[in-house]
Amino acid sequence: MTELGSRRLPGGTTRRRFMAGTGALGGAAALAACGGATGGGGQNGGGGEELVGVGNNGMAGKGRSGDAADQLFIAGFQWSPPTNFNTFAAAPAWPASNNVAQYVYETLLRFHIVSGELLPGLAATHEVTGNESITLTLQEGITWHDGSEFTADDVLYTFELGKIDEGLGVASFWTEVDEMTADGNTISIAINKERKNVGSVLTSLAQQFIVPKAVFEKVAKETDNKIASWETDTAIGTGPFSLELADQTQIILARNEDYWGKDFYKGLPPMTKIIHPIFKSNEDGNLKFQNGELDVMQQFVPQIWKMWEADKPVGTYLQDKPYFSPGSMPMFMINTTKPGLDDVEVRKALAHAVDYGSIAETAMSGYSSQVLASLVVPDGAEDAWLDRDKAEADGWAFDAAKAEEILQAAGYAKGDDGFYAKDGVKLGPWKLITPQGWTDWNAALEIVAKNFQAIGVDASTNFPQQAQTSTAFQNGDFDMGCWSVAGTNPAAPWQRFSDVMSNVDMAPLGQTAYRNFGRWENDTVNDLLETAAAAPDDASKKEAITALDDLYRAEVPAFPLMYRPDEFFEFNASNWSNWPTEDNDYAPPMFRGAGNDWLFKLKKIGG
Amino acid sequence: MSTVNTSMAEETAAPRANTLRSFNFSGRFWIALVLVAFVILLGLAGLVYPTTAGEKVGSLYDAPGNGLLLGTDNFGHDVVAVLMAGTRTSLIIGLVAGTVATTIGVGVGLLAGYVGGWFEELLMGVTNVVLAIPSIVVLILISMSLPESTIWSLAIVIGITSWPWTARAVRAQASSVATREHIDVARLSGARLPGILLKDVLPYILSYAVMAFVLQVAGAILAEAALSMLGLGPSGANSLGTQLHWALAFQAVASGAWWAFLPPTIILTLVSFGFLLLQASLDEVFNPRLRRGKRKQMKQAAARRVEEARLLAQQAASEPAAGPPEPSDRARAGEKA
Repeated sequence: MTELGSRRLPGGTTRRRFMAGTGALGGAAALAACGGATGGGGQNGGGGEELVGVGNNGMAGKGRSGDAADQLFIAGFQWSPPTNFNTFAAAPAWPASNNVAQYVYETLLRFHIVSGELLPGLAATHEVTGNESITLTLQEGITWHDGSEFTADDVLYTFELGKIDEGLGVASFWTEVDEMTADGNTISIAINKERKNVGSVLTSLAQQFIVPKAVFEKVAKETDNKIASWETDTAIGTGPFSLELADQTQIILARNEDYWGKDFYKGLPPMTKIIHPIFKSNEDGNLKFQNGELDVMQQFVPQIWKMWEADKPVGTYLQDKPYFSPGSMPMFMINTTKPGLDDVEVRKALAHAVDYGSIAETAMSGYSSQVLASLVVPDGAEDAWLDRDKAEADGWAFDAAKAEEILQAAGYAKGDDGFYAKDGVKLGPWKLITPQGWTDWNAALEIVAKNFQAIGVDASTNFPQQAQTSTAFQNGDFDMGCWSVAGTNPAAPWQRFSDVMSNVDMAPLGQTAYRNFGRWENDTVNDLLETAAAAPDDASKKEAITALDDLYRAEVPAFPLMYRPDEFFEFNASNWSNWPTEDNDYAPPMFRGAGNDWLFKLKKIGG
Repeated sequence: MSTVNTSMAEETAAPRANTLRSFNFSGRFWIALVLVAFVILLGLAGLVYPTTAGEKVGSLYDAPGNGLLLGTDNFGHDVVAVLMAGTRTSLIIGLVAGTVATTIGVGVGLLAGYVGGWFEELLMGVTNVVLAIPSIVVLILISMSLPESTIWSLAIVIGITSWPWTARAVRAQASSVATREHIDVARLSGARLPGILLKDVLPYILSYAVMAFVLQVAGAILAEAALSMLGLGPSGANSLGTQLHWALAFQAVASGAWWAFLPPTIILTLVSFGFLLLQASLDEVFNPRLRRGKRKQMKQAAARRVEEARLLAQQAASEPAAGPPEPSDRARAGEKA
């Protein structure tokens, strides 16, 4: 929009047309553009110096002018007016919400989704001793936004809150940890001797925002230890930005000039403010993004390549399809207690029936690579744990004829209605559920339903509201459907195997389960999971993971429909350059965890 | 109603040779008929179109070309095939819902209008309450609570939420018909309530019921589109509404894929415009007061009437005087109350 403003006015357009142009674009930034236009247009993007980390078409904008030139516009994290910034509440506002970008609150360690490494955060170092203990050393000179000093006590108290209020998410930390102690700047964590699950503990350390003890001690007292019920419009953290303003239309973060990490990150972030406008729909945000009114976002944009084909300086981390690195796998859950679906041959046939290529190409807009018969996400951080040859040799791929062969070999015969049945058990009618409005999953299930119908299995889609869907999965009150399991994190892929297959604390139908929603039963899986979690070194861990994957392929308790990025990472280099890309990979394409690296390294384009 | 147009009476006494002409179909009627016929043919064409709506022939939003007249939708399906299937589904839903709504509306209206008294108050009370609730809200709530959404359930849900205005209008007509003499005759000769309603009241408001039905069909098609656009449409079936739903969900407007959202929009517009026009032109056919025609035709008709009157007068003069023709029921039925 800046471009429009500065290009048109000197070009001799009438005032009316200029006003119409800026008026249509609207917003504070448009006003800023007017001011800038009279001050002389911006410099030609990439004219003299070679800009890196720009749009996939090699283009960059000319930069905004006025105040907006120093601000970063971000979107895709907050969809309703912010009401509560208590990070422990059920639905806190961004950026206090759990495991998002570390702008206000920070974590001890930062996960890097491409390399799988854990980078230092509030903790300068971390040392894992076998699967017994973890030792962390905190950074020097950390301060809270209110100027008070950050100490190991704050860290201990943050995790202690999980014991004070057992309803909090952080409470699960204590199922994996026996003890957490501090000695000066050093924190020691004793891992639960029976579970020995280092990965889960590291995940907690990389995801849990550290909060000030001084504030939350008072909260615990005021709320009678019901931390989640506390409501606040402030958020005191340690991060490079502090909460300045939050209203119905936007959330504004202002740079913390006294940020402790000036030396660690080699400077303060270049932007003075981060602004998150609140949109009503994806489409609003996508339009603003295309016009360069948003710099970076994680909204779903179908056919994003059309933006750079239309000469917009829009870019993604990967230059070619699938453009985003995979970070999670939407899982096709199967309720193995239903007659028909309890037959492993039927599940195998269903896995063969799905046209994964179609789903990746249309429902996912090409943002998914070829799906493998494995619970390990290929490429990226988890690739090291994947036995690709086995997945291809023993797994499945779309083959409708093979699917019918499997059914016939298992003794199923087609009835008059065109659907397979055996011993009076008809395959269907089954409902495929997923939340209404999760458009890519909705579309994927439409394709799956058609594929099932095509091989003679009666299935149709049903899209309830999100809360209903979630309850249906947890209570086992479903036939089949698409739901999420653990994405790429320090505990993956173990966490995902646990989510899909674990027989620990199996909840009967009708009661809330936290994993294995399909209620798939197996005698050996728990031992395999334990072995994998407690594996002392990488070689034995890979062996254990492969054993789990073999069992998974033999039993098909669920299967992935596609891959999805952990976070969509799309940028528009109209005002900032040096975005992380495959060729400029100093930072991962993410917002959370190590994704704050790029925040310090962006370069302003305009003057 | 009591005054009978004398020229009308003469016309009935001397029917014209061309019966089709006597219906006085206007240009509007033919345009409406062409529109509706086009949409129906489009729906039926899907049965012979080479590709089915579920067949993947391309990728996400392929532009028109390469043998695909309107490109592909977000699933990679041929938009033309989907449009044909969608039109068929929408028409089926419209017809079923229209039948349900008109049946309920006419039934309630007839009973209330004919029986009268506290029964009328009760039925109309219920009708007014239902009328006061925005039907789209009720529609959404019912559709959401249905365990399964098929085109039949959707049609019935739309039908049972859109009858009230028909009931109100039919009641007004029925209570007017109920005061006529022939009803007394029927009652005196021992006809039962259902018989009277069906044989003596309904025929007099049939023209109105037909027009209400046409309106209900158009309304139901639009209601289905609205529901489906919200994602409450029939599962596993294509309709014009679900087509728009997916176009919205996959941001066809923003990505410039006009072929994904314009065709269903145009067909929806044609359907509702066609049906509304049909209703308006039928109104003209049934109600002589609204008849319009080309000036030439009217002059011709006037000249013919003069000629007919002259012939009649001649006849009357040459034969012994017969009584003036009774104001027939047909004349009254033609004239809307």
